Amino acid sequence: MTQSIPQLEKPPSPGAPNRAELPLPVERTLANGMRVIAFPQRSAPKAYAVPLIAAQLIVRGGASAESEAEAGLATLTTALLTQGTATKSAVEIAQAVDGLGARLDAASGYDAAVVSLTALTHVFDKAFALFDEIIRQPSFPQAEVERVRAKAIGDLALSYSSPSALARFVAQRVAFAAAPYGHPVSGTAETLATLDRDRVVAFHARYFRPDNATLIVGGDCDPQEAFALAERQFGGWRAPATLLPAPAPSTTPAPMSRVVIVDKPDAGRTAIIVGRVGIARRSPAYAAGVVATAVLSGYSGRLNQEVRVKRGLSYGAGAQLIARRKPGMFLSSTLVDHTKVEEAVAVVLDTLRGLAAAPPEATELVTRKATISGGFSRSIETIDGIAGVLGELALYDVPLSELGDYLPEIEAVDPAMVQRFAAATFDDLFVVLVGDARIFGEAIAREYDNVTTIPLDQLDLGRPDAIKTS
Amino acid sequence: MTSTVTGAGIAVAPIDFTDRTLPNGLRVLLVEDHRVPSVSINVGYRVGGKDDPPGRSGFAHLFEHLMFKGTKNTRPETIDRLTEDIGGLNNAFTADDITNYYEVVPSNYLETLLWAEADRMGSLAVIEEHFHTERDVVIGEYDQRILAEPYGMLDELVNRESFVAHPYKRGVIGDPANLRAATLDDVVAFHRTFYRPDNAVLVVVGDFDPAQANAWIDKYFGRVPQPAVPIPRVETVEPPQTAERTFTYRAANVPLPAVEYAYHIPAWRHPDAAPLDIVETLLGMGKSSRLYQSLVYRQRVATAAHAGADLREHPGLFSFRAIASTATPIEKVRAALDAEIARLRDELPAADEMERVRTQIASSFVRSRQTYNNIAVALVRSAIERDDPGALNSDLDRYRAVTAADVQRIARKYLTVENRTTIEYLPL
Repeated sequence: MTQSIPQLEKPPSPGAPNRAELPLPVERTLANGMRVIAFPQRSAPKAYAVPLIAAQLIVRGGASAESEAEAGLATLTTALLTQGTATKSAVEIAQAVDGLGARLDAASGYDAAVVSLTALTHVFDKAFALFDEIIRQPSFPQAEVERVRAKAIGDLALSYSSPSALARFVAQRVAFAAAPYGHPVSGTAETLATLDRDRVVAFHARYFRPDNATLIVGGDCDPQEAFALAERQFGGWRAPATLLPAPAPSTTPAPMSRVVIVDKPDAGRTAIIVGRVGIARRSPAYAAGVVATAVLSGYSGRLNQEVRVKRGLSYGAGAQLIARRKPGMFLSSTLVDHTKVEEAVAVVLDTLRGLAAAPPEATELVTRKATISGGFSRSIETIDGIAGVLGELALYDVPLSELGDYLPEIEAVDPAMVQRFAAATFDDLFVVLVGDARIFGEAIAREYDNVTTIPLDQLDLGRPDAIKTS
Repeated sequence: MTSTVTGAGIAVAPIDFTDRTLPNGLRVLLVEDHRVPSVSINVGYRVGGKDDPPGRSGFAHLFEHLMFKGTKNTRPETIDRLTEDIGGLNNAFTADDITNYYEVVPSNYLETLLWAEADRMGSLAVIEEHFHTERDVVIGEYDQRILAEPYGMLDELVNRESFVAHPYKRGVIGDPANLRAATLDDVVAFHRTFYRPDNAVLVVVGDFDPAQANAWIDKYFGRVPQPAVPIPRVETVEPPQTAERTFTYRAANVPLPAVEYAYHIPAWRHPDAAPLDIVETLLGMGKSSRLYQSLVYRQRVATAAHAGADLREHPGLFSFRAIASTATPIEKVRAALDAEIARLRDELPAADEMERVRTQIASSFVRSRQTYNNIAVALVRSAIERDDPGALNSDLDRYRAVTAADVQRIARKYLTVENRTTIEYLPL
């Protein structure tokens, strides 16, 4: 251990950064109204060529398009796409996917259903035909509807058992109440039980149509080939004569400072979420919001420094900015011992308000922006990663040039912009606490106004106020 | 770059790496690739759970944590700050035969991280207080991963009961009592014994100029001295197993009964490794695999069923694990597993099934070549665990050469009752 290494040497400084070489996406619209976006393989000297092609289909109208009574319908419909088609059973689809060595997944969020595929170049045609088949001709067999629904209900029980996961569901309701982003994407046991095959078939017919879909194809495939492939496979898809369903009206409630406690006596720790309705992805404040969130997040971010490093209240604390087609949510979260709830809530609130009260130092922004740049660069290291980023841009009506503009926009955010975002967002914050309220409930009620306590057996995420009717 | 057609008709470019050894014994593998402006730096040490000092089970893994706790030149967590704060990441893992440290950073920080890795290879300066805190963290990890996780203890039991002589029996995570007995002197001795350039492989993959990178590597790693004493190696050879060993364990956090079969198999560098990987895929990869189709989907006797070839530097294990579905007695699960194993011995797999398996394995191989760090980790593991980083470039050819008859031969040779350790893991 005591070897001839010169002592107290400083780490060498970095050189000048290299710029990312980004694939240039190109797009066109098929005659049936389907938007197609293609991107080529990265062409760099000495680049290892991966013979892989990725495709993604985005269908607008996810969980935000379903009614309160149908919560979970978009998720159920999407999960069933791979469970049977006009010509194949669920087993045959699985065998076909494995036989091609492909990955084929379908999932739904609030704004869209997303079907994604990756496959090796030499089998991509076949995989792409299968991708088309599950999108256009799912058969929704009755037995599979029941099986997937039963599994979804079982999975809910599991996710409710985690205080952190449950706090997310509750925060969603507190922020959005009856607005389209309020109900859980996964539905509730009660709503899922009412969802039958007819509703699934109707939901699919209403939203899965070419003039409501965006297709992204890229990787080891020239964009012209990608367009030809799209035309050959999807060119014959006809939009129904009916009008596209209008998006649900947005009625997001005004932010209000309040505390909602879910009393879960068997929770090991208390999950804390402090949040508020935030901004849409298209908002001009988005870049400032991302930087402000980065100032608060990560190991060296302010929340973790205050909550973990300085006070040892938790293993970690961070923040998230969830921007969607409509304003989504800003939230900060941590998980603490039941006896530390009061202190931790105060620390989180003070930390957020601190950023609203004074602009961060320029030096602090340098490292926090680096975390954004690093994260973004890693997210586009893979072909399906690039398809994912382009898919989000398309879904949120952001120009595709954002792929190249994003990091310069982040770079242009200055301390005053961060403070402006913080001042506008970190006001009228709500607090959600899921844990053993016998330990912290009284102290919180003394300290804060507008406290609602919901015993776990009275919680109903199927209702806008999350409380069961008696 | 030339492409070689391998696997199931898949054209995959070989990983084009340079391979040299510094005068102090450090092996250096470099892959230049400019797809994205980042680099992955891996330093793998040929030391793992099997090399834990006597009475110090879990020490290699504890030591991995201590490598983040400061050197002569740096404060604790310097590596975290040098990576996370510039948008990079770092981590490490300890396995039976290897401890690997890695960073992924923007490429302009390559020199900084090469310095930092060489710095902690050359010196480690852990103080008593940090040693105690980290020891508690590692014991906490044991509680979380082994005690709190359902079936967590089963992984430990498989190693413990399958090996009678080889130190693989101790596992990686170790034993809390052994860890509590560890001292700071052990830390110093372990670093001196194993953290030396001639016991390490440095791999850098990504956006860099090789001449520049090599100059930095010579400068920072070249000055770490090579000790004159030899590196201790595990010489124990596990004796062949001649009769089935069966065990029954009961534990509190067992939601549903489980059964594990573990069979001794040869080391990763053995020619049977490729057919063993094929057997693993055929039995256990994806929803179309035999175990899923038979036990989970058709018979519904299991909620999950896995098969895995755990290929290591020394002879490892091929294991099966099935978790019973609700109200299914474990005997029924075992009967279903036995039938699948018998089928493998008695029937040749059909040509289309072999083709599907080769395609699956080749596809996941290609998919894993997408990120710099995956390439780097694959090179490090291949260099340390089978002494041959270049073997990565011929793996697909070896998979392609596996025939249905090979699958049957492998099943008859290794998946025998005499070669098996069986553990039934049941609720209290």
